[in-house]
Amino acid sequence: MGNSKLYKGSLNTIILKLLEEQGKMYGYEITQKVKNLSKGELNITEGALYPALHKLEADGLLDVEVEKVDNRLRKYYKLTEKGEKETVNRLAELEEFIRSMQNLVNPNWSIE
Amino acid sequence: MKLTETQIQELYKFTRAHFVYHYDLQTELVDHLAGGIENQIAKNPQLSFQEALHKEFKKFGIFGFQDVVEERQKVLSKRYWKIILRFYKEYFTLPKIALTLLLSVLLFLVLKTIPLGYQNYAISILFVLFLIPSSIKMVIYNRILKKKKRKWMLEEMLLNNIGAFNFIQLPIQFMNIRFEVVNPYILGIISIFSVSLLLLFYVMVFIIPPKAEELLAETYPEYKLMQSV
Repeated sequence: MGNSKLYKGSLNTIILKLLEEQGKMYGYEITQKVKNLSKGELNITEGALYPALHKLEADGLLDVEVEKVDNRLRKYYKLTEKGEKETVNRLAELEEFIRSMQNLVNPNWSIE
Repeated sequence: MKLTETQIQELYKFTRAHFVYHYDLQTELVDHLAGGIENQIAKNPQLSFQEALHKEFKKFGIFGFQDVVEERQKVLSKRYWKIILRFYKEYFTLPKIALTLLLSVLLFLVLKTIPLGYQNYAISILFVLFLIPSSIKMVIYNRILKKKKRKWMLEEMLLNNIGAFNFIQLPIQFMNIRFEVVNPYILGIISIFSVSLLLLFYVMVFIIPPKAEELLAETYPEYKLMQSV
């Protein structure tokens, strides 16, 4: 269930939200963080994460930085100004979606 | 446990063996794999480097790095087109638009004076004349690319002018289309279109590649870092 299509649509929003909280992060860190936060329930597949990151970068929502860590290069992602604004929008959109889904799936019945 | 330099090099080889040929993408994947391997070995010290690598790679799914590479290509070719547009637009702003117009008028006059039935040849010859110096340039760029130890995906696009030659074939097709145009408006449109197209190739082949270094530094934060190593 952890990798169902339901999550896929929200991957970008999850990435943006994480970067909003954490400042800058690298790819592997994002997968681990999501796994921890969702207690293993949600497992971001690597094959989906990087394309999503690259696309967000191309759209101007993310900026990249490279640092030498241990004996390799590490690419960090962080939100641009545009990305910060977009994060607010997308989160609002997602919350709205969750609310309407709740209403659809579990309407408040009352027989009065 | 931290991976050694040799193991990192082995990871680079591993990405290459799995069809990731560009340094920019390799680097990101190597860091990812390395992080995963270190993490696994920390949890289970019995695990060998190769076993951990195998497990980590499996997480990318049955297509391996393919999705990542394809998506990266899409993103970077979009970026390449944006770069082309950035430089191409100059030919439609004040100082240079005069040049564009002048060339269009010249072509128009040529098309107007030559006998009917030869107009298509005139255009073909114009494109072929342009094709000769550009082919030479492209061969030179190709040699430069081949000599490089590290391949950057965007650099390959900048120097190889993806698809430029497909566009170039288009006017060659004119050779086979006989047209006899007397209407000056249509002649005008043909002239402006041909000149604009040639300017687009010109930008792709002669203007952008010399700026590759600058454009790569702009795209890849690690580019400068690696040049100094």
